[in-house]
Amino acid sequence: MKSKDGMTLIVKTMTRLILWMIFLYGAYIILHGHLTPGGGFGGGVVLALAFLSILLAYGRSFTLKWLNMHFLEEFEASSILLFLIVGILGILAGGVFLINFIDHGSVFHLLSAGTIPLLNIIIGIKVGVSLFLVVYALSELKLEKGEDL
Amino acid sequence: MTVYLLCFVLFLVGLYGVLTKRDLVKIILSLSIMAYAANLFLILFAYKDGAIYPILSKGTESAVMVDPLPQALVLTSIVIELGTTALLVAIVVRLFQKYKTFDITKIRRLSG
Repeated sequence: MKSKDGMTLIVKTMTRLILWMIFLYGAYIILHGHLTPGGGFGGGVVLALAFLSILLAYGRSFTLKWLNMHFLEEFEASSILLFLIVGILGILAGGVFLINFIDHGSVFHLLSAGTIPLLNIIIGIKVGVSLFLVVYALSELKLEKGEDL
Repeated sequence: MTVYLLCFVLFLVGLYGVLTKRDLVKIILSLSIMAYAANLFLILFAYKDGAIYPILSKGTESAVMVDPLPQALVLTSIVIELGTTALLVAIVVRLFQKYKTFDITKIRRLSG
C-alpha cells in the first residue's frame, strides 16, 4: 500500500470506498437492460470504469497483482462463445438462431423477456473486460522512453 | 430546420479542428466532435413534438413515442466510434514514442 506508483492516500481510500458502488451500479444497469435505458454496453462501460479507477489510483503493478491478466485476456476472447452457445440453443429449441426460447414472463418484471437479460449479461461482461484491457494495453506503452531522433 | 443547421455548424467546428490544428490529440478530439454532430443529426431526425422516450413503462403504454430506430443506430455508431478512438490513441502513442512530439509538422522523417 505504501508503494510509490499510483496516486496519494486520499485518492486510494476514496477509490476503495466507492469501488463497490460503481460495480453495483454497473450490475444494476446490466440486469435492468430489458426494462430501462441502458443494457449490456452501457453497464459494461461502467464496470470497465470501476476497473480503471483501480488502475489509475493504485498503479499498474498493484493491478497486475490483484487481477490475473492472463486469465482476463483469455476470458475476454472466449466470452463471445457464450453468446454463440445461447444462439445455437435457440436453433435447437426453435429452429432459428437466437430465438427467444425461455418463457417470456409478464411485462415490467425483472425476470421476464426470455433470453434477453442473459444476452445483456454476456455483452456486459465482454464490454467491461475488453474496454479495461484496451486502456491497460495503452498504459503498458512507456511514453518517457521514446527513441531519439 | 434551425436545429439541423446548428448540427451542421457543430460538424463544421470539428472539420475546422481536423484541418487546422497541429496537435494530434486535438485532431482526435475534433474527429469525436464530428462524430457527435452526426449522431445528434440522426437523433434530431427522429424527434417528434410532444412524444416521449420509446421505452415501455407502466402508464405510458399508449403514449406517442419518438422513433427508436435512429437511436439504436446511434448506439451502434457510438460503439464503433469508441473502437476507432482507441485505435487512433494507440497509433498516436506509438508516434509519440518514435518522434517525442505530437506536432504533425515535426513528424516528417521516415524511418525503417
